[in-house]
Amino acid sequence: MRRSTRGTVTATCVGFLLIVPAALAAQSGAELYDLGCASCHGADGAGATSDAFAFDDPLPDFTDCSFASREPDGDWVIVAKAGGPIRGFSESMPAYGEAFSDEQLESILAHIRTFCTNHAWPRGELNLPRPLVTEKAYPEDELVWETRVNTDGLGAVVNQFVYEKRFGPRGQLEVTVPFGFADQPAPMPVNGASAEGGAWEGGLGDVAVGWKHAVWHNDASIFSLTGEVLLPTAGSDSRLGNGVFAVEPFATFGQVLPADAFAHFQAGTEIPLDTDDGRVHTEWFWRAVLGKTWTSGEFGRAWSPMVELLGAHEVEDGAGVDWDLVPQIQITLNARQHIMLNLGVQLPLNDTDERPTRFMFYFLWDWFDGGLFDGW
Amino acid sequence: MAGRTWMTLPAAALVVAGATMLVTAAGATESSSMVVTGRVTFTGSAPAPEPIDMSADGYCVDQHTTPVMDASVRIDDSGGLAGVLVYVSNAPSGAGPAAGDETLLDQVGCIYTPGAVAVRVGQTLVVRNSDQTLHNVRVTPTLNRGFNLGQPMRGIESRRSFDQPEVGIPVRCDIHGWMHATLHVIDHGFHTITGPDGSFELPDLPAGDWVVEAWHPTLGTVSSQIAGGGAAAIELEFGG
Repeated sequence: MRRSTRGTVTATCVGFLLIVPAALAAQSGAELYDLGCASCHGADGAGATSDAFAFDDPLPDFTDCSFASREPDGDWVIVAKAGGPIRGFSESMPAYGEAFSDEQLESILAHIRTFCTNHAWPRGELNLPRPLVTEKAYPEDELVWETRVNTDGLGAVVNQFVYEKRFGPRGQLEVTVPFGFADQPAPMPVNGASAEGGAWEGGLGDVAVGWKHAVWHNDASIFSLTGEVLLPTAGSDSRLGNGVFAVEPFATFGQVLPADAFAHFQAGTEIPLDTDDGRVHTEWFWRAVLGKTWTSGEFGRAWSPMVELLGAHEVEDGAGVDWDLVPQIQITLNARQHIMLNLGVQLPLNDTDERPTRFMFYFLWDWFDGGLFDGW
Repeated sequence: MAGRTWMTLPAAALVVAGATMLVTAAGATESSSMVVTGRVTFTGSAPAPEPIDMSADGYCVDQHTTPVMDASVRIDDSGGLAGVLVYVSNAPSGAGPAAGDETLLDQVGCIYTPGAVAVRVGQTLVVRNSDQTLHNVRVTPTLNRGFNLGQPMRGIESRRSFDQPEVGIPVRCDIHGWMHATLHVIDHGFHTITGPDGSFELPDLPAGDWVVEAWHPTLGTVSSQIAGGGAAAIELEFGG
């Protein structure tokens, strides 16, 4: 799931009215947890067992930080308030929105948060919506299919599969496999004869393997360092990659802002390890993202419009800085919010005659939260 | 009859296993309205009631001085079958006596009380927890919208209404797996639930040709056709 705005409970039937005993009003989160949750989730949060249970769904282990830390408070409260199906989870999870107030549910959640005692795990609020270009600081378990299509200039359709696997509270392995098709430049005319048009060629880009480590975080900020190795799988004459060994260290920073807004920052460099032919140069890049999440309805689909500002500079004589703007919107596709789509366009801000405009999208599956067909 | 609305039954309710019908109409006279009285009975060997194991929740155990029997088929000494929905299945929508404001489904001693409850379309069902222990109330209709509510302590009440007629809606508590009830939503006033002796009464039924149906969650349905006005006494008999 993704971070989501909070709402108030909706009626699921034609009408309802609630009477709650006043005795509930002044109890602590731990006491309310014992009243409303411990029968199934266990007094220790690890999940109760009972022959009397009329359901078979496995109960989550709140002491497992890998599970319990990932989702933001808002999603926990929504599920507790409106029941499991609101986020595509078990129908056995009842709705407590008529038994507990928002404040009581939040105090219960505060108690649940005490079951995970390892604070090295960054909280789910820091799992900000993923931009199209800028890397996130939060370590993830995701599979992303990205596509970029040139809309002018030389044609190119470049895809990449990005596989991310989290290790422990802070680590993440990332493997990127680019592939696609690109229109090759037409050869120069010879002796006044017309040149033939370039031919489209397909193939593999430069495969990258990286490791991310979330170095530091607090409740609203997260900072990570990543190192990637690019393999020369594209070939030296391909437009789908540079075709040289390279390393790419970079830093990323994520910031939660008020009113469900957020920001990402990334800065790094790509250093080719084989520069003998002078074809590939070291490049510095820096990226910044500003966005905000809206939720349609009270517990529904999350819409996260963002805008990225991209800067890149190749270290060679006379090279300037390429600036691009990438307006985009990420949309959660299913109730569990672990399947997402992002649509955007990369607009060059300078050298617009030489650099193409690109249509971009990704399809994201946060596979830790469930299968591709779960939670719709 | 103009404006008749047929009830839609869950598939399970259409299975009439070994049911027979015995109709004894008596004293029917031409009149503008009629009263149908009668009794639902069971003949044959009913499943033996089993004691409910409530040991998973000490509170539930403490609420009873004698073992509580899980009687899915509740029969008195004379064969009267309790907790059966009896309704006129071909009555027009909206007909019949006005409904009361609310109908109560309570949870007392970790048992649904009553075990079967009928409301009219639009009428309010009150679900109350009279126990000082957590219950969830999971209602799983086919035509109406279901819900699953957590009721963590004594005195909590939730109210719901339903917009589609539907017979045989299961109600259960996932925490106490022995807790089951049945909810019926009827779009007219000619319905009732049989008492402990299987008796029932449907008053103020207009003179006409009617089908009186009895519905039980495990035994299925039996029905009887009646005609005319005045008074009619019928016996609806399930066979074992």
